[in-house]
Amino acid sequence: MSEPLSKIPNGTRYYFGREARLRRSVEQIVMSVFDGWSYEEITTPTVDYYSLFEHGMGRSQAHRAFRFTDTDGRLLALRPDVTSGVARAAVTIFADRDRPLRLCYAAPVFRQQPQSHVEWRRESTQTGCELIGANTSVADMEVLAIASEILQKLGLGHTYQITLNDVGIFKGIAAHQALDEVSRDELRQLVDSRNAVDVERFLADQEFAPEERHALAQLTQLSGKRETLEGARRVMLNAGSKEALDRLDRLWSMIVSLDLEDRFEIDLGDVARLDYYTGLTFNIYVNGAAARVGNGGRYDGLTAAFGKAEPAVGFVLDLDALTAVLLALEVDTRLPKESERQMSLVTNSDPTLLFCEARKKRAEGERVLITL
Amino acid sequence: MQNLTIAVAKGRLQTEALDLLARAGLSVSSAMLSSRRLAVEDESGRYRLIFVKPGDVPIYVEHGIADCGVVGRDVLLESEADILQPLSLGIGRCRMVVAAPSETPLSGYRALRVATKYPRVTARHFGSRGLSVEIIQLSGSVEVAPQLGLADCIVDLVETGTTLRENGLRIVEVIAESTARLVINRASYQLKAEAVGHLIDSLSEIVDQGEQT
Repeated sequence: MSEPLSKIPNGTRYYFGREARLRRSVEQIVMSVFDGWSYEEITTPTVDYYSLFEHGMGRSQAHRAFRFTDTDGRLLALRPDVTSGVARAAVTIFADRDRPLRLCYAAPVFRQQPQSHVEWRRESTQTGCELIGANTSVADMEVLAIASEILQKLGLGHTYQITLNDVGIFKGIAAHQALDEVSRDELRQLVDSRNAVDVERFLADQEFAPEERHALAQLTQLSGKRETLEGARRVMLNAGSKEALDRLDRLWSMIVSLDLEDRFEIDLGDVARLDYYTGLTFNIYVNGAAARVGNGGRYDGLTAAFGKAEPAVGFVLDLDALTAVLLALEVDTRLPKESERQMSLVTNSDPTLLFCEARKKRAEGERVLITL
Repeated sequence: MQNLTIAVAKGRLQTEALDLLARAGLSVSSAMLSSRRLAVEDESGRYRLIFVKPGDVPIYVEHGIADCGVVGRDVLLESEADILQPLSLGIGRCRMVVAAPSETPLSGYRALRVATKYPRVTARHFGSRGLSVEIIQLSGSVEVAPQLGLADCIVDLVETGTTLRENGLRIVEVIAESTARLVINRASYQLKAEAVGHLIDSLSEIVDQGEQT
């Protein structure tokens, strides 16, 4: 049976009218903020070797990509993320540039398997930035401040919430307990879904020491402000966790001094991708979106796969999710419908005069519509 | 505090779940409950309850239509939804088991046919053993499948075990223990932290009392 040509593949869609214009303006706002912080735009290849993404994102994430073979038999993929390509560029094209390196992008990414039930799209637009070659709390704060400015500029200043964590806290506990990889991932999943009941059961089975049990129970607790760090500090005594808590504490002090603490939370249970991140991790939520609209963190191991280890921190925003939120907020307000937009009609039976008049109006900045 | 929408699984859990929520301070009038409305507000106006099929609870919560939900762990295992499950409510206790009619160990089969309402749980459970498994997805009365020759064994939820015995089945393996869970949407957990925290605290207090008595 042949498929009708009118069919569109699952997880893809058209954008047009008001939504397309809004999406474009969101992209412009985001990119102008990156530019304002001296981030240079970079575009990575849409088609690239699958192995790039396997190294850049980790196998489990890269697996989601659309894959196909090149003429020489090598495996290619449609770009499932931009960061991998940026990391390779950092150690190749930009090898001799002064550090830190500041790069930003806005580009569609493709995933054959969608991220989750909510994230049904297989093509989505990512916009983000990478700060490569700096490993300080100030660098971490820089990208958080940029994220914060973007949300402010998009008119979401009062509705966003950024949750912070440092993967060093969980890794410290796992290392202290000498968990093997399988158990560590099981525990990570339980903590990540705040499944306190099964965390308890897991700890009992693994014969954790009482102080470590307290430490882990702490991770599944509700998020909060500085008191969350203080609470954690009392029960987490291993060196790795303590160091990570110190890093978060320095960052929190900066957030407070910038008067941003209403918009930030510390959420020690966010341990979604342990192998990718090496320090700070964060998720961005806004009212009106059922899932996070952005996320980021520090991945000091990222460029190592491409030949040279460099510290890096960055984040990505889901442009389409942000557009959907803004569209819902603005349905009856700012953006006029396509049919309601101002335009000036140009009519003339003589094509020369027609285009003379149209070009004159265009030169004056008017929006013209030629009557054909 | 922000308003919360809570999805409650209809059927097996519904009465106990509502009782628990009532003790946590959600007062829904009996007139409302006896009506056939599928979305009702509590008297404070702070909570809205929606009654949906158990398998749909994780869907409503993951999409953020409901901020929270009450649903059995069995459903969560099957749905693989990306949602938070901070609290076990101690109600609706049952087990997800493999049950078979004979004494033959399952490893004795060359290719095992398994009838179930839980294809993902079944695939995960047998997946790592190198056993070839044919999963036959049914929507109910799974217990009868082996005796009719449709399957060699079943994966199903068991409360008392009576239905299994009456259909000549015995439990071969326990895959998971299941109780009802409070589940929460990831964004609501952050954006409605105060209301969500309040609900978790009130419910966990009641659950703790229940365990002591």
